[in-house]
This record gives sequence, structure tokens and C-alpha cells, in this order.
Amino acid sequence: MSRFFATGSDSESEESSSADEITPKAPGTTLKQSLLLSDDEEDTKRVVRSAKDKRFEELTNLIKTIRNAMKIRDMAKCLEEFEQLCRAFLKSKNIVDKEGVPSFYIRLLADLEDYLNQLWEDKDGKKKMNKNNAKALSTLRQKIRKYNRDFETEIAAYKEVSRKSFLPPLTCSSSESEGEAGGVSAKSFLKKKPDEASKAAKEDDDDDDDDEGWSGESKESDSESSDGEAKRQSMAESFLKYVLFLILTFSEIKKLSKRRDKAKARKHIEEEEEDGGEEGGEGWEKVKYGVPLVKEKPKMFAKGTEINTTVVVKKLNEILQARGKKGTDRAAQIELLHALAAIAAEHNLGQGILVKIKFNIIASLYDYNPNLAAFMKADMWKKCLECIDELLDILFENNNIFIGENIAEDSENLAVSDQPFRVRGCVLTLVERMDEEFTKIMQNTDPHSQEYVDNLKDEGRVCGIVDRLLTYLENKGSTEEICRVYLRRIMHTYYKFDYKAHRRSLGLQGETKSEQDQEESEGEDSALIMDRLCKFIYAKDRTDRIRTCAILCHIYHHALHSRWYQARDLMLMSHLQDNIHHSDPPVQILYNRTMVQLGICAFRQGMIKDAHNALLDIQSSGRAKELLGQGLLMRNMQERNAEQEKIEKRRQVPFHMHINLELLECVYLVSAMLLEIPYMAAHEFDARRRMISKQFHHQLRVGERQPLLGPPESMREHVVAASKAMKMGDWRTCHSFIINEKMNSKVWDLFPETQRVREMLVRKIQEESLRTYLFTYSSVYDSISMEILSEMFQLEMPTVHSIISKMIINEELMASLDQPTQTVVMHRTEPTSLQNMALQLAEKLGSLVENNERVFDLKQGVYGGYFNRGYQGGGYRNQNQSNY
Amino acid sequence: MCYRFLPERSVSACFPPFRRERLMASRKELSSVSSSGMASTGGTLDSPVKQVQIEGLVVMKIIKHYQEEGQGSEVVQGVLLGLVVDDRLEITNCFPFPQHTEDDADFDEVQYQMEMMRSLRHVNIDHLHVGWYQSTFYGSFVSRALLDSQFSYQHAIEESVVLIYDPIKTAQGSLSLKAYRLTPKLMEICKEKDFTPEGLKKASIGFENMFEEVPIVIKNSHLINVLMWELEDKSTVADKHELLNLSSSNHLEKSLQLLMDRVDDMSQEIVKYNTYSRNLSKQQQQKHQYLQRRQQENAQRQSRGEAPLPEEDISKLFKPPQPPPRMDSLLIAGQINNYCQNVKEFTSQNLGKLFMAEALQGQN
Repeated sequence: MSRFFATGSDSESEESSSADEITPKAPGTTLKQSLLLSDDEEDTKRVVRSAKDKRFEELTNLIKTIRNAMKIRDMAKCLEEFEQLCRAFLKSKNIVDKEGVPSFYIRLLADLEDYLNQLWEDKDGKKKMNKNNAKALSTLRQKIRKYNRDFETEIAAYKEVSRKSFLPPLTCSSSESEGEAGGVSAKSFLKKKPDEASKAAKEDDDDDDDDEGWSGESKESDSESSDGEAKRQSMAESFLKYVLFLILTFSEIKKLSKRRDKAKARKHIEEEEEDGGEEGGEGWEKVKYGVPLVKEKPKMFAKGTEINTTVVVKKLNEILQARGKKGTDRAAQIELLHALAAIAAEHNLGQGILVKIKFNIIASLYDYNPNLAAFMKADMWKKCLECIDELLDILFENNNIFIGENIAEDSENLAVSDQPFRVRGCVLTLVERMDEEFTKIMQNTDPHSQEYVDNLKDEGRVCGIVDRLLTYLENKGSTEEICRVYLRRIMHTYYKFDYKAHRRSLGLQGETKSEQDQEESEGEDSALIMDRLCKFIYAKDRTDRIRTCAILCHIYHHALHSRWYQARDLMLMSHLQDNIHHSDPPVQILYNRTMVQLGICAFRQGMIKDAHNALLDIQSSGRAKELLGQGLLMRNMQERNAEQEKIEKRRQVPFHMHINLELLECVYLVSAMLLEIPYMAAHEFDARRRMISKQFHHQLRVGERQPLLGPPESMREHVVAASKAMKMGDWRTCHSFIINEKMNSKVWDLFPETQRVREMLVRKIQEESLRTYLFTYSSVYDSISMEILSEMFQLEMPTVHSIISKMIINEELMASLDQPTQTVVMHRTEPTSLQNMALQLAEKLGSLVENNERVFDLKQGVYGGYFNRGYQGGGYRNQNQSNY
Repeated sequence: MCYRFLPERSVSACFPPFRRERLMASRKELSSVSSSGMASTGGTLDSPVKQVQIEGLVVMKIIKHYQEEGQGSEVVQGVLLGLVVDDRLEITNCFPFPQHTEDDADFDEVQYQMEMMRSLRHVNIDHLHVGWYQSTFYGSFVSRALLDSQFSYQHAIEESVVLIYDPIKTAQGSLSLKAYRLTPKLMEICKEKDFTPEGLKKASIGFENMFEEVPIVIKNSHLINVLMWELEDKSTVADKHELLNLSSSNHLEKSLQLLMDRVDDMSQEIVKYNTYSRNLSKQQQQKHQYLQRRQQENAQRQSRGEAPLPEEDISKLFKPPQPPPRMDSLLIAGQINNYCQNVKEFTSQNLGKLFMAEALQGQN
């Protein structure tokens, strides 16, 4: 702990001091010291170091090795290390940009260059060198020359300083170059320096005051070290200009220190809490409001400053400036804003400023997650809801607040309360964003967990907020805004089945008194609301998208409540089917959902054909899940990259709005069955029989491929089994396969009017079975009594009569009705299967002959024939030509 | 005797004919034993076999083989053994090919044949390889596999024939067994592997003269004949009148179905050929235009006194499109012809039967 605080206060004092009094202190040196210090202690303790420290340590280590290599004249090693050093330096570029080029780095560069030059000139020594070394020497020399060009000024400064202060290293080492044995002086001195520094640093560690390194080092009476110090100091001076203007932007430093203060304070309190349990409560209090405020206040608003609107606004701007910057503590920012709001409220600065701060709090809540894909945490979400609620409260209470996106910052009126307040900002955007966040939260919650249910409970609050905003905007907003908020409202309404209205329409009264009360308090039907909102949008909206969405939602709502004709007419009148392909994916998903809902509605109404047509597009692709935005398909994984996947994930519809896929498929398959089976029976011998539903046929084939057919398990198997029964005209079996307990629980019970749907289904099955039976077995009968038919299929005589009459009129059944005996007399004009085959064969042969003729034409035709015959001639002529 | 050839749709991998060397080896081995056998098989390609004489035993064995192993559209195959006597091929014995499954892929069929023949030789049975037999399903047998297989047979052993046995016809009361050989013309084409339209045109091969049918005589030894007579007297089995069966639609339907499939194939082939010829003519046109342009330019250059443009390789410039192989369509045509014959024969027989039935009914 002490260690932590030591470094913490270190850096703080260091920076503040350097900011305040520009002392001739080389930051580089200090840096090095602190770093060496940590180096010493590394073994005993893991220390958290800043990136700067780490980088610089890396550099110094490398420099150390280079110096060692220089000492033993190992040029190869030198070169290698130098290259590493350059790389390391590049890596630490960020820090260097901020802090300036560290002095020790320059020193090494200068020394190394000198050293190399001197080695280079020493011919004898060079001869003695082995090949590798010599080669490395020349390479290194070239390299360092080039490299040092970038640091010319710094090196020059360094050299000047070193020349002034003591013998230039060049002379030192030149004397040494004659013999290794003698040359301890300069190099050993260079070598020693880090050690001294570390020693000094160690001492400094105990008394951590501002000018640590300097006092400590100067204490050393050693002449060498004082030399070194002098050198360093002067050098530092020459670097100051580089360093200071880079680092010490005044305001920045201030902010930095402030932030650090805060962090420290927080840490401190945590520490305290850990230490003493009794203190905890108090300490906690402090964290939340007290500590930062007490500490900040003097800085926010200097003591005694009159806290008025201007000051608060200034402070607000100050806080906001940190927004979006790297390293800004977003949580702390939110805290700060809250605190500011509290202050503003405390000093009664008026609602204007409060609204403004609230806006910003909500905005920074949204900002809290830097990633667009990430969703809000629960506590943030709660806070957000509260804030918006409060904001709306204020807005409702104070009629004299104008808010708008278009109000410029300057023209805001936050203070003067006799004039209406003018605040920049847009509640609608905030609420829309809130809504999106809600969707995001729902998307990211496991739909089968309790958490999802809990989250879903917030839907009511969201709706409430949207409603309040709606009333607010209806009074104050522009039509455009009203349209937008209406759409939000619609989006929260359209997928919900209005049970109350449903019950009311059935003429049922609430069983208990409380339910009745509830009903009364409920207000208007969702249908009416939808109607009102949508019609407003149709009339007033100018953006196409909102209108499209509104229409789709309206249709969906109609369909959901079994108002089939209204839904269908709206769909047809809007001509959405023609141009939906041009809209963006979310709208397309909505369109798909609407179509599906429409299809299911048609099915409930017994319009099998319409149901089939509506569902065909979605089902035939086999990607219903994807098209409805209810999940991603696995097989697409290769086709899309992570980015696309993220986008697609964002488009997913939350689970509570899902349309049951099994229900959808079942509805589709059953309608396909009701259409396809009679059709198949009627066109058994047709050569080019087209399929009504490919998917249904696929299911049939899958069923046929089963080696062993057990009783049906899944919904599909049920439908396949039912189809088989229907093929034989056995409606009872078919019925028992389609409607049984399993299917009820899986599918049919999901409809609001289960019983009615089931009745409809039975009837349809009976009718279609009758038709199938007639198609399949008419060839066996000479005549058949309608009475028997009606008994067989449990249909009333008139129905049987009408079905058969229809078949006869459509020329599907070659028969006539004999009225007195109530029988159907078959005409037996249908060809037998053999005859059918012969007909098909004839047809095929016809096309064969036609094809053949075409070949013949080509041969006989002027072009083909001529050139074909002339082929060889042409070749011949060609040859002749080439001979010429 | 009514011999009906019966084709097969899925001639699943005709058993591989011997490789030639092996055959020759076995041949030599043989000839040392039965030197008389080779007498008449002179080098003339002109059909060394005028007649096929089959032992009753062989017929029985083939029928039995199918009965036991064949089912539905699956085919059974086997090897025929016998001798050539003058221009008559005497088939005196046969053995079936084992139905091989996927599991024993390494089953060596050639080895099996050799073993079999050697064993037969030990019991003093003719072991000269003279062809092969195959069952068929509603007369579908004209296929590429059969062609290839028979070609390699005839290539190695000139006199070999393929016996086609139709179990369905046979079940209806008339034994259907036919012997086929490839015509010399087709042999030549196959040898050159030239299946282009031109090649076939030059050889004037049509589907009619791809296969030649060799008349079959079934011969039993006198002893067997005597036995048969005796058995006939003793036999208490009620007479079977499959021959008089009037129901025909099933058979016809199947035949028509198969026929239609072939016709579809044929249509496709024709379309393919059509595209080819259209491409060809289009290219010819382009080529012609190119040449004309070239000529004009050369003429201009000549008038200007410049050297003519260098000749370029036209065939490189215009690569002729790949002609579709015509052998398939020939085979399909042959097969269609086959089906048609089949249907014709069947219907004419049935018509007779129907008239007969009518007459009988009138009498009653």
C-alpha cells in the first residue's frame, strides 16, 4: 500500500511541480530513476508500473547490454542489440512523443557513434578483429550514422554539454583504445553511472519529495557522480524545450492530476473500508457524494464562489469535454454529473439547468458502453429509466421549458426564469435511444431465464415513458416528432394480442369485480389506438420509412386479431409487396413478420389458399428463422464474417415478439396438404404435374424414405402421416393425426380461438378428403350414392352436393348427378393409366421429332448447310492461299 | 421357340472380361487339349458364328441362376463355355458370376473365372470361354456397359456371343433367350474409339446394324429327350396356361415407362447435338468473315505495294467445338428400337389372344 501511494504521490507531485515551476529538471532523469528503482525491487515485489516505465526500462536494459558489448568490442553483439534498441524505441514512440526523447537514449547514440568512429579509424585494431566483427562494425557504423541524423540536434546538444563539463568521451576512449587493459576509466565510468543512479534512487525512495533524484545524487561526494550530475543537468536543460512543450500542456496536466486525485481518493476510501468495518458506512457516504465533492469543490467552484448558473454551465462543459476521450472514467463522469445536478438543485438554480444536466447524464449513460453491440447493465438501465422519468416529470411540471435540437448553445436560456427556458436537446432522441437499449437488453438476455422475465417487466415502464412522451409531444412537438413517437408507440403495441378487447368482443364480462375494474381502467382498445396512431402517420408522415413501418404494424395488428379482410386490403392497397425489396433489412424483417401473421390469420379464417400463398415465400426458402429475424442460421457461418454477423445479431427480434416457428410451419404444411393432396389425386397421370408446394413434397419424400415407420412423433411426421391417410380418402385417420393431444399442445393451442380453428380444420379435412376420394376411386365406381358419401365423410347432403357439383363444373370429375336417386353417375371418360402413358409418350415423341427437325433445319439451312459442306473446301482454299 | 432378347437398364458393371493375355493363355492351355476346336475359326471377321447351339443344361442353369439371385431390375451375369464347331457355336456349359457386394472390393473376378474353368476341366467339361450371359429387365440391355464388355470379349475371342435372358417373358410362358454379337463394323469403330459424328457417318453405323442376332438352337441329347418324354407322361402337374394370360396392361405400362425414359434421354442427346451444330456453324461463319476480311486487306495492301499480312493459323484462332460423342445416342436409339420391337410383339400376341378369347366367349 505504501508502495502504491508512494508512486501515486510521486507522479502527482512530479507533474504538478513541473507544471507549476518550470525547474531545470530533466524529466528523463527522473523517469530513469523511478524506473531503476523498480528494477531493483522487482524480485521482491510485483509492482504496477506505467507503460512509460516499462518501455524505458526495456530501453535501459538494452543500452546496458550495448555498453557491455562495447566494452569487450563485440561488434556483432553490439549490432544485434542496437537493432533491438531501435525497435524498442519505435515501440515506445507513443511515450516518447509525450515525454520527449529520453536523455539516456541520446547519450547512448552519441557515445556509440563516437566509439564506432574511433574504432573505424584504428586500422590496427580493425585488422585484428575477426571477420564477423569487422563486418558488423561497418554495418553498425552506417546504421548509426543514418539513425543519428534524426537526432542531430539532441546529440549536438549533448556533446556540447559533455565537452564543456568534462573531457569528451572521445578522448577518454582514444587513450583507452591502445590497450583494453588500461581503459577502465571512461567506460567503467559510463558503466557505473546506472548503478549510482540506482543507488541514489534507493535513497530517494525513503524521502519522497519533489526533487528526489537531485538532492540524493548531490549528496554523493564522489567527483565522478557530480560530473555526471552536472552533465545530466545541463543536458536536461537543453532538452527542456523538447520535452516541456510536449508534455506540459497546462490544462491537461491539471486534468490529469485531478483525475488521479479522484482515483486516489476512491482507492483511499476503499482501503479504509477494508480496514475498519465500523467506518464503512460513513466512508461509503463519502465516496458517493462527499469525497469527490469536498475535494473537488474548491476546484469546481473555488471556495466562496457564488454558485450560479454560469459557473455550473462552465463546470458542466468542463466535465463534458472529457467525454469520449480515451482514458476518461465514464462511471466517474456520470457520478460527477449527478453531483452537479445535486448542487444545481441545492442552490435552486432553476429547472433549465437541471434539464440540461439531466440530458447530459442520460447521454453519458448511453455513452457508458463504448461498444455499440454491448448492452446496458441492469443498474445503468434502471438509472437511465429513472432519469428519463425525472426529466419528463420536470418537463410536465414546467410548461415554460422549450427544448429542441435546433437551439444553439449560445441561445440557450437556462437562468432567467421569467422568460421561458430554452434548452438544447431532444427528449425524443433520448427516448428512442432508450427503446433501442431496451431491445438490445432483451436481445442479449437468455430468453428462457428468469432474468428475461424480469427485464420484460420493464417493458411496462418503457411503454409508460413512451406514452408520457407522446402526450408531451402532442402538445409541444412538431408533426414529425409526433410521427416518430407514434411509431414508437405502435411498435410497442402491434404484436400484443389484446385479450381484453377479445373477451369483450365475445361478450364476456370479467368474472370478478376487480377484473371489471381493470377493464374499465384500461381505456380504449389497442385496435382503436393503432387505428388512430396509424392514420395520423398515414396523413402526416413525410418519411417513407415511418409510414411503411406503420402500415406493416397496422396489418400485423389486424391479422393478429383476425381482421383478415382489413389486413388483406391494407396490404394490397399499400402495394408494399412490389417495393419492399428496396427497403432496409429491419423493415423487410417486419414485412416478413407481417406476411407470416397474415398467412396465419388467413388460416384461422379457413382461407387455406390465401394462407398458403402468404406463407409460401417465407417457407420455401427454408430460412424462415433468419427471415423473421429470430435467429441466425448456422450454415451461413462461412459466408459471412464476424462483422456481418454482429450486424445481423443486432437485427434480431427480441424473444417475446417471436412468431412460433413450429406453428408457422405446421400451418403451412397443413394448408399445403389440404391443397396438394386432392390436386395430386386429380393429376395422377399428368405428365408435367407441377407442384404446389415443394416443401410439402420434400416432407413427403422424407417420410417415404423412412425404412421403418413408427407412430408419428414430431409435427411434421404428423402432417405426413395425415397426408397419407388423406390420400386414401380416410378422413378419420387424417383427422386423428392432425388434431390430437400432441398437436394441440404443440400447435393448435397457441391460437387464441383454438376451438374454432379446430372445427374449421375438421371441416376442411372432410371436404378435401371427399374430393380426394372421388378423384382416386371414381374409376372404380359406375355410380355412387351421395347419401353414402355424406355418411362416409360426415358431411351434410347439401355440402356433398355442392362439392360434387363444383367438381363437375370444373371438369375435374367426369360424372353427372342423378337427382331422383341422389347418385353420382360416372361417365368413365378418363383415360386409363396405360392410355395416359401412351399420350405422354406421344407428347414426348412429338418433342423429339421437333428437336430432330431442328437439327435437320440446321443442316439444310442456307448458312449451316453451305458452310458445313464448304468446310473442307474452305480448308483447301486456305491452303492454296498460303501457298501463294 | 420364342427367343426374346431382353435388355437391361442398369447393367451394373458387366463383369470384366478377361484381359487379353490371360485369355490367350487360357486359350493355349485349351487348344492343347482340344485341338479340334479351333478348326473353323479362321481369321475372317465376317461372322465366324452362324448359329448358336445351346445345351438344355445351360438354359436351365441360367434360369436357375436368375431365379435364385436376380430380383426386380437387378441383373445376373455369368460365363458361357463351349466349343466352336464349323460355323456353329456350341455352348455346352456355363457358370454364374457371384454377386459381388461392396464389401469384398478386392474380389478378383478374373482369378475366379480361371479357377472355375480349371475346376470344370478337371471333371472333363468344356472349358473354352465362348462368351457370357446376362439377364434383363423388360428388354433393356443395350447399354454402354454391355457394348464395352462384349467388345472386349469379341476382341479377345472372336466367336464370343452374349446371351440375353429375359426372365419376365419366360415367366409368361415363352422362353426368351437371344444371342448377340457386335457387327464387324462396330468392332472396328470401337477399336478406333472414334465416336464422333463424322466417324460414325463414315462407318455408316446405325442403330440397326450395331448388333447382329445369331439364331439359337436348343439341343438336348437323345437320352435327355427320352427322359423328358417319359416324365411328361408321368407328370401330374396341372397344365399351366401362362401363355393365355390376358392381362397385358402391367407389362405394357412398364415397357412404356422405360420407353419414355429413353425417349427423354434421346431428346437430350439431340438437344446437345443441336447446340453443337449451331456452335459449329456460327464459328464457320466467323471464320469465313475473318478470311474475307483478311483477303480484302491483303488486296488493299497489294495495291499499295505492301507485303501481304502474314498467314496465321486459322485452326488455332477458331478452335472447333468439341463434338458430342454419338455412341450414346446410337445406343439409346438401339434400345428404343428394342423396346418398340418388344411392345409390338407383345401387343400382336395379345391381340391374337384377345380375339381368341372373344371367339370363345361367343361360343359359350
